[in-house]
Amino acid sequence: MMPARRKGLGSMVLIAPAAVLLGVFLVLPYLNIVVMSFRMPGQGTPYGQGFTIGNYTKFFADSFYLLQVANTLWIGLLTTAICLAVGFPVAWQLARGAMRFRALAYGLVLSPLLVGIVIRSYGWTILLGNAGLINRSLTGMGLLDRPLPLMYNALGIVIALVHVFLPFMILPIMAAIQGVDPSLESAARSLGASRFTAFRRIVLPLCLPGIQAGCILVFVLSLSAYVTPSLIGGLRVKTMAVTVVDALIDTFQWPWGSALALMLSVTGALCVVIFARLTRMKWKAMEP
Amino acid sequence: MTEVSIERLTKTFGSARAVDGISIRIADGEFISLLGPSGCGKTTTLKMIAGFEEASEGAIRFDGKDVVNVPAEKRDIGMVFQNYALFPHMTVDQNLAFGLEMRKIAKPEILNRIAKVLDMVQLGGYSDRYPNQLSGGQQQRVALARALVIEPKILLLDEPLANLDAKLREEMRVFIRDLQRRVGITTVYVTHDQAEAMTMSDRVVVMFGGRIAQIGAPSDIYERPENLEVAQFVGQVNLVKGTVTGAAGPGKSRVASVFGEVAVDSRTDHAPGIAVTLSLRPEAIELKPAGRGRAQGKVTARYYSGSIIDYRIALDSGETLHVQTFPNTRIAEGDRVSVHAPADGFWLLGAAK
Repeated sequence: MMPARRKGLGSMVLIAPAAVLLGVFLVLPYLNIVVMSFRMPGQGTPYGQGFTIGNYTKFFADSFYLLQVANTLWIGLLTTAICLAVGFPVAWQLARGAMRFRALAYGLVLSPLLVGIVIRSYGWTILLGNAGLINRSLTGMGLLDRPLPLMYNALGIVIALVHVFLPFMILPIMAAIQGVDPSLESAARSLGASRFTAFRRIVLPLCLPGIQAGCILVFVLSLSAYVTPSLIGGLRVKTMAVTVVDALIDTFQWPWGSALALMLSVTGALCVVIFARLTRMKWKAMEP
Repeated sequence: MTEVSIERLTKTFGSARAVDGISIRIADGEFISLLGPSGCGKTTTLKMIAGFEEASEGAIRFDGKDVVNVPAEKRDIGMVFQNYALFPHMTVDQNLAFGLEMRKIAKPEILNRIAKVLDMVQLGGYSDRYPNQLSGGQQQRVALARALVIEPKILLLDEPLANLDAKLREEMRVFIRDLQRRVGITTVYVTHDQAEAMTMSDRVVVMFGGRIAQIGAPSDIYERPENLEVAQFVGQVNLVKGTVTGAAGPGKSRVASVFGEVAVDSRTDHAPGIAVTLSLRPEAIELKPAGRGRAQGKVTARYYSGSIIDYRIALDSGETLHVQTFPNTRIAEGDRVSVHAPADGFWLLGAAK
């Protein structure tokens, strides 16, 4: 038996590379952003001398930015909900379906990840635009007089984000369902539970951790997505990520951009914590 | 309680016939084992009785009523799975309550029944444990309790002891058998372990390749096997060549072999002159010092295992015999011996192939 102290040391050595990587490339830059967000705006430079809380008072004083945060959260929420609704049945089939079907479906699920995000988003502009494939077809068939507004709005962004992030919902849920022994369903049914009740009382609670992971992944990715919202939302609908990049690169206001980025992080993290809390409570409540 | 009748039950997967037209009548309160090697169709048969597998042809009747089209949850069965299939996110109490809740039984009655069944499986005081806090044997008993607490018509067990260690397995055999007797529930037990099937069952159904090879009491299966396959599956057996010399009363033939001429039990009569195969169980043979008796040979190997000793004997006539004796036998490897087999130790399997 290895003494406990040496075992602890061993695992420390193992996580060291990841810890160093995270420290140097995540924690330090983050601290830099925090410091930057309290700097004075610059005149012809990215930032000025001295410190201020002005960036934050500006954020909270203007309902425009608060609304934009709300809008971003709403897009994230909607994307997550649709991914869950669309992804769960696919994950189920992947985990429990016939073998022949599985290989094909697995390929289809992963296929969005094989194409670069810029190309995928441009692809959606071709489909969703006023002169795009969908609207041309619908008007051409005489079903519509005017094109449907599918681009430059939240709807278009959500459609494209669902496509991009669906695999991140499906894969963790699939893994969770695979971890649930199918004989548990048989046992529930032998005890008198219908298929639906067996699913609700036994399978669903047991794969909830996978659902939770998938939801958090998709939600966080949707909040921080930049390419897709900027291409599909254009100038009309801007998510926080787009505004942050505008501030940092277009208007060269690093302190202001940093403050916006931090507000996005904080609200996103808050949402995740609340969600995790709620689902854990829900899990508890499912036990009779 | 419940009588089960299986009639020409068949299950096909594509062109393969996993279960091929089997018929079994199970009496009320009877303990029946389906015994056979893996792939013989025993588990598929159990799944069809439970309702997890659809029958391709044939009928399954509970008290005369065909249940083939009744979904599993409406069949009123209690089932114990090989891996126990306890709900990992529920405590013992919650596992046991599940089936009763499905039956809309009132809370006080549920608690009452759980207490009773936990007492029955000697797990009082374990109510609040989660399955992963229990040993294999305890999980097994919870699974049994969960199947019994709903007071089902039939108890089905799918290799329930396969994951336990040898000592616990023997304890659980007796435990399950005694419990089944006390409750008096009609029981179908699937196993590939012949000793398990024999100690527990009223009758054993031996299956090979989707068909029934023999149905009978354990002693019947062991002492009067239908054919060579059954004889070899339910225990170790010596095969002895012989020739029929005449009849010896009803169900008996005179057969000449290396052990002399003996009257041997058989299921069918055979004409004189026909070459036949006799089975001779290793424990029916007696070894004596060389000199007396017809069959003489030499001990080629001796395996001591506590309760018995296994010997391999090379007969002078060329055959090899497997012999089991009490451990007080003082015969060593290399000794010359004479081999004695009483007439009732033989069984006529059939014409030699």
